[in-house]
Amino acid sequence: MQSKGFEAWLNEQMAMPRGQSHWDWMVANGYAVSTNLFNFSGVDNTIWRKLMSSPDVLRQRVAFALSEIFVISMDGLPVSWRGMVAANYLDILEAHAFGNYRQLLEAVTLSVGMGVYLNMRGNQKADGKGREPDENYAREVMQLLTIGLHKLNPDGSVQTVNGAPVDSYTQDDIRGLARVFTGWDYDRPSASVPDHAARPMAFSASRHSPEAKSFLGVNLPAGTDGVGELGIALDTLANHPNVGPFIGRQLIQRLVSSNPSLAYVSRVAAAFANNGQGVRGDLTAVVRAVLMDVEARTPSTQPGSGKLREPILRLVQWARTFNASSPLGQWNVGNTSSASTRLGQSPLRSPSVFNFFRPGYVPPGTPLGSAGLVAPEFQITNESTVVGYANWMRTVIGNGVGEVKADYTPWLPLAGDAPALFDALNSLLAAGQLGAVSRATVTAAVASMPVSTEVNRINRICATVWLIMCSPEYLAQK
Amino acid sequence: MSHSNSSVHRVQQGVSTLQRREFLRRGAALSAAGVAAPWALSLAAMGEAAAATTVNDYKALVCVFLYGANDHNNTVVPFDAATHATYTSIRASLATPRDQLLALNPRTALPSSSQMGLAPQLTGLKSLFDAGRMGVVLNVGPLVVPTTLAQYYAKSVPLPPKLFSHNDQQSIWQSSLAEGSTSGWGGRLGDLFLANNATSTFTCMNVSGNAVFMSGQQAVQYQVSSTGAVKLSATTGNSFGSPAVSQALQTLTQATSNHWMEAEHARIMKRAVQAEAQLSAGLAAAPTLTTAFNSANPLATQLQMVARTIAARNALGTKRQVFFVSLGGFDLHDNLLTQHPGLLTNVSEAISSFYAATVELGVASQVTTFTASDFGRTLTSNGDGSDHGWGSHHFVLGGAVAGQQFYGKLPSMAVNGPDDVGQGRLLPTTSVDQLGAALATWFGVPVSDLPTVFPNVGNFDLGTLPLFQ
Repeated sequence: MQSKGFEAWLNEQMAMPRGQSHWDWMVANGYAVSTNLFNFSGVDNTIWRKLMSSPDVLRQRVAFALSEIFVISMDGLPVSWRGMVAANYLDILEAHAFGNYRQLLEAVTLSVGMGVYLNMRGNQKADGKGREPDENYAREVMQLLTIGLHKLNPDGSVQTVNGAPVDSYTQDDIRGLARVFTGWDYDRPSASVPDHAARPMAFSASRHSPEAKSFLGVNLPAGTDGVGELGIALDTLANHPNVGPFIGRQLIQRLVSSNPSLAYVSRVAAAFANNGQGVRGDLTAVVRAVLMDVEARTPSTQPGSGKLREPILRLVQWARTFNASSPLGQWNVGNTSSASTRLGQSPLRSPSVFNFFRPGYVPPGTPLGSAGLVAPEFQITNESTVVGYANWMRTVIGNGVGEVKADYTPWLPLAGDAPALFDALNSLLAAGQLGAVSRATVTAAVASMPVSTEVNRINRICATVWLIMCSPEYLAQK
Repeated sequence: MSHSNSSVHRVQQGVSTLQRREFLRRGAALSAAGVAAPWALSLAAMGEAAAATTVNDYKALVCVFLYGANDHNNTVVPFDAATHATYTSIRASLATPRDQLLALNPRTALPSSSQMGLAPQLTGLKSLFDAGRMGVVLNVGPLVVPTTLAQYYAKSVPLPPKLFSHNDQQSIWQSSLAEGSTSGWGGRLGDLFLANNATSTFTCMNVSGNAVFMSGQQAVQYQVSSTGAVKLSATTGNSFGSPAVSQALQTLTQATSNHWMEAEHARIMKRAVQAEAQLSAGLAAAPTLTTAFNSANPLATQLQMVARTIAARNALGTKRQVFFVSLGGFDLHDNLLTQHPGLLTNVSEAISSFYAATVELGVASQVTTFTASDFGRTLTSNGDGSDHGWGSHHFVLGGAVAGQQFYGKLPSMAVNGPDDVGQGRLLPTTSVDQLGAALATWFGVPVSDLPTVFPNVGNFDLGTLPLFQ
């Protein structure tokens, strides 16, 4: 029943229509105006709106995961109409979340957001006087978006020759690809309207490198058509055997657990290679493989299993679980980057293209490291963030954030029975993973609280929610 | 809570009588001493091992990490007419005009009549150089062994892994290992001096985001915000009207577990709560700093917290501390001319304020600050920026530094020259290990202990950087 129920939910979620786009919401709510040319007004709002309330919750979850792999950041968009650029980029991730990886890669590559963030926009051919094409996108598209630094086996393990890893690309490959990524720029930019921010970049042959280009075993003769060259480059990248395990493993880390078994990665990589109908790169097949895998659905008792929930997702879970609403539609949660007073991370605001945390981060001085395990989310976990989170969530749970408010009324009937209240919320928030000791601690404290008024009872619910959401047993999702 | 200098004094006297042996994790040991009495922490009760060296004075090492890879060519710039002309011909629109540069006159002239200048924004650093408080280390970067250009191209010697990759080179600068490393040389320095500090927690303090530099084998990074340790509000007062809920929160969040991720999170929270109480009290008891720090400069606010912590060293009972601060935004493939100046302004202003604060505290010669970055950048331009490089130029500052001097070897200003691994990227002639070893020696690490801090240090000549007086 669980399996059939979950499968049906997946199908329903994948078929769900997209809601109002970030772009349209920005326009409709008056943010697409020239006073916002150089700020991001409205972007945090529409991001939280969708994460917290959009019915296509799985698409939002996958798009968010993609935003942590195909990273751009509001920190690095020093251009006009930057808010619309950011909104459009998120729309692209959402549009392709259940599409095909090859199309996603092309849409990202030609997006104004990525073009600005990693400098492909305006990149020019060499001038023969020392100026060379910018290598940033060429390097990072390989290192982060497609194949990674080292050649991989289908199970995600690193190939070795005489015990040493094998580089998947060289500086020459970067130089060759950098030449391909020349000649692209805004399509009909305007200072008065933002429309170019939603258009793929346009090609200009005069700025494109006419030189011969070699990369990853492909040799393009001089003078080859630039648009065609881009297609060949993206095909080469997307068809590389590394992509399935490289991207697949990261999707497992974002959606399920930090340390999937080699077999789990193999299964997901296999789904990437062939969705069952001979199609490579079908993201619905990949997401299905990630979420429906036996390893994703079997609780593990291993001491290093699961993952630390990232703070953004904890906040989103609170909002979803308690049916958060925003009466005026503002969703003004704001920028939650502050480590000491908020979450220590905020969507689309990572400090660099390397996301908030690295797939290979090992928290120092822990048994995880000794056991060869990673725990990426610990890279943003420190003395400031753990306290900042507990402090802020107390306020958020009790008072909401901005005009975003939770609805605790469904739990009022249980509020007088602290153990029953705990059991219900433990199940909903933590899949029942808080154990007997925590249950005793929470219920003793909550049972000591007054219960006669509705305010009393809401406080009991808030206290239970807060205690659960701060417990290590909740924070480590197993 | 009450505290007294005499209890700290007792602890310090006890250090020298301890035997070296296996010891507990700092966090667990800290909890064994009890939340209620942080000032009565007894090293004997925690079973601490002796440091490699017992010290009686105070020293601090401060790492200023410039994330994204600082463009060194526009930071320390050729100034003599001939070399500047070459630089301009290569860098074209990216080149800083000669008349804007701050010419440096070192005590020992550079060879071949070469002269260098600082970027115009680095006025504070220029003053420190002129006053003999700052040295410039030329062409420094990660190496496994000394490497010639021929060896690099032939790959006939071991090279640092994952060159030109940001995250890996950050890790290699900080720890000698690529991403995934779990200890850095700042932490390994801390390991050697932990027992000299009344509370080991304050040995390695990071005022920015997590950095492997700060973790040792035993030393644990302690992270604080630029305004101080964040106080858990549940430690004072009620939560949702209930004191019991506040107490329950503390119990739950510090509960031990067999699950490693749960246990680590709880350990961090436990350390956060206990350390905040001590640090806040220590900061409150410390002399107030009058040196101004620009609150709009994120590097300055971090260094201000470092200065305040140093001011509290007597209250905290610290003798050896390693600090980490950082500034991001240096990956200027684009917009070098528009964005680099602001970053350099922040660096110069923040470090100048910090040095002034150490003078105010009377510890100028006991604090050494150095810059570091992922790597340098290409000499050539891509139109409006530069790309990933390797060797770079960095600064070392402090009252003990033999400043107004260049250290290391001046690289050739050329493309396809003798130092060039492509587009003017520099093959380093001084290794991070050599720089680190000089800093570590000043810090008090015996030569025999250097390999525990820098695994590859035995591959290099030491003493090539006489940075200290």
